[in-house]
Amino acid sequence: MDKAYAQALWRIIEDGANPRGAVKTLCQALGARGRLGLLPKIARAFSLLAARAEAKNVVVLKVARYADGKRALKEARELLKDSTIKTDDVKINIDENLIGGWRLEGRELLHDASYKRQLLDIYERVLEK
Amino acid sequence: MDQSIVQKIINEIEHYTPKAGVEHVGRVTSVGDGVVAIDGLSRAVMGEIIQFEETAGRPLSKGMEAAGALHGLVLNLEEDGVRATILGDSARVNEGMTVKSTGRILSVPSGDELLGRVVSALGEPLDGKGPFTKATMMPVERESYGVIDRKSVSVPLQTGIKAIDSMIPIGRGQRELIIGDRSTGKTTIAIDTIINQKNEPAEKRPICIYVAIGQKESKTARIAQQLTEAGAMPYTIIVDAPASTPAALQFLAPYAGVAMGEYFMDRGQDVLVIYDDLSKQATAYRQLSLLLRRPPGREAYPGDIFYLHSRLLERSACLSEEKGGGSLTALPIIETQDGDVATYIPTNVISITDGQIFLDSSLFNKGVRPAIDVGISVSRVGSAAQTKAMKSVAGTLRLVLAQFRELEAFMQFAQDLDKMTADRIESGRRMVEILKQRNGSPISVEKQVAVLYAADKKFFADVAITRVSEVEALLLEFVDGQYAKELAEIRKSGVMSEALKKKLDRALEEFRLAHGELFGSQPVASSK
Repeated sequence: MDKAYAQALWRIIEDGANPRGAVKTLCQALGARGRLGLLPKIARAFSLLAARAEAKNVVVLKVARYADGKRALKEARELLKDSTIKTDDVKINIDENLIGGWRLEGRELLHDASYKRQLLDIYERVLEK
Repeated sequence: MDQSIVQKIINEIEHYTPKAGVEHVGRVTSVGDGVVAIDGLSRAVMGEIIQFEETAGRPLSKGMEAAGALHGLVLNLEEDGVRATILGDSARVNEGMTVKSTGRILSVPSGDELLGRVVSALGEPLDGKGPFTKATMMPVERESYGVIDRKSVSVPLQTGIKAIDSMIPIGRGQRELIIGDRSTGKTTIAIDTIINQKNEPAEKRPICIYVAIGQKESKTARIAQQLTEAGAMPYTIIVDAPASTPAALQFLAPYAGVAMGEYFMDRGQDVLVIYDDLSKQATAYRQLSLLLRRPPGREAYPGDIFYLHSRLLERSACLSEEKGGGSLTALPIIETQDGDVATYIPTNVISITDGQIFLDSSLFNKGVRPAIDVGISVSRVGSAAQTKAMKSVAGTLRLVLAQFRELEAFMQFAQDLDKMTADRIESGRRMVEILKQRNGSPISVEKQVAVLYAADKKFFADVAITRVSEVEALLLEFVDGQYAKELAEIRKSGVMSEALKKKLDRALEEFRLAHGELFGSQPVASSK
């Protein structure tokens, strides 16, 4: 029930309703039905929805070392020139497990140009043969 | 380190080109009971294979330790994501894991290399005899052949079981359901049919595929052993999705089996696929559908449960000469509860198939094996494929047995019976004895014709009922030794000519003279 209320609230706000007004109306509706106790649960479900939506829009560029960031961003820019993702939207993260190269992930897209991926590819091919 | 391995690694590195382009991905939001909910993957299609990326965020050494790629199968397309089933160990999947779209529809390996092997529902070898190197990949879901590509069933598929080949004949390309309660001999009929294909000449011998769905591993191991001992494995593939595997693999196994069969059918060969059993597949699909939150219908089965079986069995076909003339015969098995064939899944499958062999537990308990209830068993298209020789000797068999069953019930409270009724009962009793057959001992069609010809000529009329099977075995041995040429002619021509009949009459007479002690004092009734 709490998820359904949170989803409804999310939709209303997404469609352009004033968030403060929407929450106020929701509280009134819950109060009228004697369900105000659901409010904390609805808030939790709403924050999960928000986190999920944010995660969907985030684009992360992972590099093995901070020093690789600039070069990786330059290479990624070439890759992103035909997409709707702007390089300003890209967050740079450090992942030492990549060994080298970079990995861009976000908005349902993935480009893995890390050394780790390449080494794993070679390892799998050798095993296959 | 071995120099050859070093050289291989060097070669791989020298020829390596990194994969270019962007991959479409999603993220696991929840996982449980073998089903994952994934956010994203908006371009995924139904039945697409997805790959879980287990190595992300983990060091290289951990990635190398991962036991092969873990795949999933997209089964629900939703507003914000997809729901998929995990084709492997679901403990390897966790929330937040990246999932890649592969753009591939599920396919399994097939080809001559798979003959004699035991494979999983994904076509992976389970018998430890090594991987497949030359196999061709076949799509698990494929549209069946249309009307134009097919021709009528005309070639018999001999099961080696007298009661079936004579009264419920099966043709190549037919779908014949084997239905009955548990432990009534359903699997035995299927296995005997596979073994009997050894009697066929190599060029006409069908490739046999046995699909074990939700069975105990010990049972499948026993079947593999039985087929090996009978010399049937070289033309057989066993697809095993035991009860211990996830429901997704049990649901997929029949499709994997038919996909493997289609490879041979497309090349003009004949194929026999046995689905043991489709009730367990339906149960697995119900489990999967409920976990995927599809609306439940009758008996909690999803709305497309009929389509689950119809699209599988429609892939059985007898192809036209233009399409190579291959065929795919299906012997689906359904387990009933307390002999009730009117429940949901049995009625669905009965309506899809071209006939059914009903096994009755009361007959089984009376010692009538195979326990086929001739009254409600039927083959809708098989008679067109029956040889003339078999037709000529088995024409009245059904009637004799039907009359016997009716009189048998009446006999229980009747005191005095007129001679005609008593004769019919005696004749029916003997016929029941003749149609009994031990498991694992199918009989070639020419021998069946010889035995049924003898029965038709009232040859067993003065044999004690307890000795009918003994006389039958001796007769077959005698005919096989002394009249092998005649038997070969029956097989070759498929016709019982007058000359052949005379020779068989002589054989029966010679046998009677040689084994007088087996026959009673009653004279042999004259032939019709």
